[in-house]
Amino acid sequence: MDIIDFAWLIPVLPLISFLIVGLFGKRMSEGGGYVAIIFSLASMVLSLLIAIPVLNGTYQGVYEQSVTWLVLSDEYKLDIGIYIDQLTALMLIVVSVISTLVVIYSIGYMDKEGERKPRYYAEISLFIGVMLGLILANNYLWLFIFWELVGLCSYLLIGFWNHKPSAASAAKKAFLVTRIGDIMFMIGIIILFTTFKTLNFSDLFAIQATGTDLELLTLATFFIFGGAIGKSAQFPLHDWLPDAMEGPTTVSALIHAATMVKAGVYLVARSYPLFVQCPETLLIVAIIGGVTAIFAASMALNNPNIKRVLAYSTISQLGYMILALGAGGYFFYYGNPADGYTAGMFHLMNHAFFKALLFLCAGSVIHAVGTEDMRLMGGLRKKMKITSFAMLIGALSISGIPILSGFWSKDEILAAVFETGEVNSIFLLLWLMGIVTAFMTAFYMFRLWFMTFAGKEGEASKHAHESPKVMTGPLVTLAIFAAFSGLAVLFGFGQVIYFGHPHHADAIEILTEVFTSPLTYLSIILAVLGVVLAYLVYCKKIISSDVFVSSPGTKRMHKLLLDRYGFTWGYNAFAEKLVYGFAKVVDKFDQKGIDGVVNGISNGIVGFGQRFRKVQNGMVQGYATVVVAGIVAILLILYITGVLG
Amino acid sequence: MIPMEYFLALSAILFVIGAYGVLTKRNAIIVLMSIEIMLNAANINFVTFSSYFDDVAGQVFALFSIAVAAAEVAVGLAILLNLNRVRGTINLDEIHLLRW
Repeated sequence: MDIIDFAWLIPVLPLISFLIVGLFGKRMSEGGGYVAIIFSLASMVLSLLIAIPVLNGTYQGVYEQSVTWLVLSDEYKLDIGIYIDQLTALMLIVVSVISTLVVIYSIGYMDKEGERKPRYYAEISLFIGVMLGLILANNYLWLFIFWELVGLCSYLLIGFWNHKPSAASAAKKAFLVTRIGDIMFMIGIIILFTTFKTLNFSDLFAIQATGTDLELLTLATFFIFGGAIGKSAQFPLHDWLPDAMEGPTTVSALIHAATMVKAGVYLVARSYPLFVQCPETLLIVAIIGGVTAIFAASMALNNPNIKRVLAYSTISQLGYMILALGAGGYFFYYGNPADGYTAGMFHLMNHAFFKALLFLCAGSVIHAVGTEDMRLMGGLRKKMKITSFAMLIGALSISGIPILSGFWSKDEILAAVFETGEVNSIFLLLWLMGIVTAFMTAFYMFRLWFMTFAGKEGEASKHAHESPKVMTGPLVTLAIFAAFSGLAVLFGFGQVIYFGHPHHADAIEILTEVFTSPLTYLSIILAVLGVVLAYLVYCKKIISSDVFVSSPGTKRMHKLLLDRYGFTWGYNAFAEKLVYGFAKVVDKFDQKGIDGVVNGISNGIVGFGQRFRKVQNGMVQGYATVVVAGIVAILLILYITGVLG
Repeated sequence: MIPMEYFLALSAILFVIGAYGVLTKRNAIIVLMSIEIMLNAANINFVTFSSYFDDVAGQVFALFSIAVAAAEVAVGLAILLNLNRVRGTINLDEIHLLRW
């Protein structure tokens, strides 16, 4: 028995914790928080023990364990099992490490919740379990089942403070909007199953589709990408993620920044062998990613809510990853290396670390000041030294300042998109959008940092104090990851996480490649410009922030951004006018049409019974007469028809 | 030997007389008596066929039938006696509680 044979325990451990905390949490200290920590820690250790040998090449190829689950017919069988390759290993490390840190942090952040603690720790354990299950699944059906379960956990945890109407409606919105994507994903799975008669990754990935099959595959990949759009909050289904910030900040950090929203990106990466056969789908993938990146970044520019800014930033960074995957696959289709795949997965890892860090820092600030409005904060740098420093690292990292992790992956993504411009010039436009997004990212992140930590003390920051060690500990750990995880690229990230052929290059080659390219300097200059602009406006206040609302045109723009380009309004109008109107028509048909028929039949039968029962009059001789008359009648009939002779 | 048809005709006439009594008489005791006539019509049939086909089973059956009829009359009379006590009548037209 090898350690990898116990991989099925990775998702099972947190699920056991879910049962224990859910059933007995009320009688435990901290509402079962420590139990949740122990089990997620055990799961993390097991994940690392399995993932590290996979990544450093001790295990070659794909490890798969599978049993038949359902036999529908001789042709159609469904399996249940686990599938471990390098991509799985990378995701295992990211998810298990971040979830463990977040659960530890929760002990500090959720300390005032009292009776609601067991519910929180049970749900977060459930989430960790099903998320790890999603990563390990070896076929699309089980991926989909776990996909729905993480959606359920997301719903439950967004609505954790369900006594607040805004939280309850945000939870509902997240559930319904992602459901549109989920249905598309399901359609995609059904197409795959009917076309290729299997849902197992190992069987599907070996297929080279041609003719009609290829057309169906294109359709299937398109619908599967629809699932990713919903889960990863891509344009035009992005609007649920900013509202999802109604949940506790730990939930935002874990589910809505580091793990669950990455499931969409993971899905595309996992399905890459299918996607690279369909350039049409890949083009859509890239365009959606690029548009989302710049679109979401623009809304982060002027939002006053610290968590909302981070939410838009998450959407925008997810757009980067999707863009990278689309570009890499498109490039691969034309016989080139799929650099975008490596870049996208690299950014996924780095983003998970620095965005979890940023959210947890924001949580630490919110915990201290009791508000999410940045206009009431300010000057927190002296009171919260560790938090402000950790957040600075996160902000520098996401802005793409050299050496920190975000720089490496963002640069790789932009380079991959730019080189794909060789085969289709639309990618040059997408690259331009990406580079503008990079500038915006630097600006809004430092706007956030300066508004929160620099300048004069705000109203809410008077009684602020640094958070307890149980919260700052995870912050420091994540800050180290956020600062240095980007260096993985120098130590052979491209030789492990790749599609097609590994990228064999040593550290020196990569460094020269990166620092001799003019594109690198362009993105660095733009990032620094963004930081400097934010510094001038929000720290030194040399340029008043009023310039953004001085003229009627910019004022309208300002309002349009705060209104999220009218998307919320659009969703509501769509739901109210179209869906509700249609529902009313259907309701009327149900009440008048269907109910009318059913009630009419039953009324008729009841009325007939009321009248017919009068025959039963209690006169025995009457009955006897009927019996005799009946027998005589039968005899007569038999006689006439000749049966009796 | 008397032909079989005579016996069967007698049995049929008795049966019809009994049926007529059951359907038309209002007095429950007369109805009960009419039922006895119908039963005995059937018994005559049994005995006739038994005798003509030389099979003793029919006669045995007729004996059984007489015994059962005696028991039935006992039960019937007991019911009528009680009915008379409770309702004060045995007129069948007035006894129609078991209805809608």
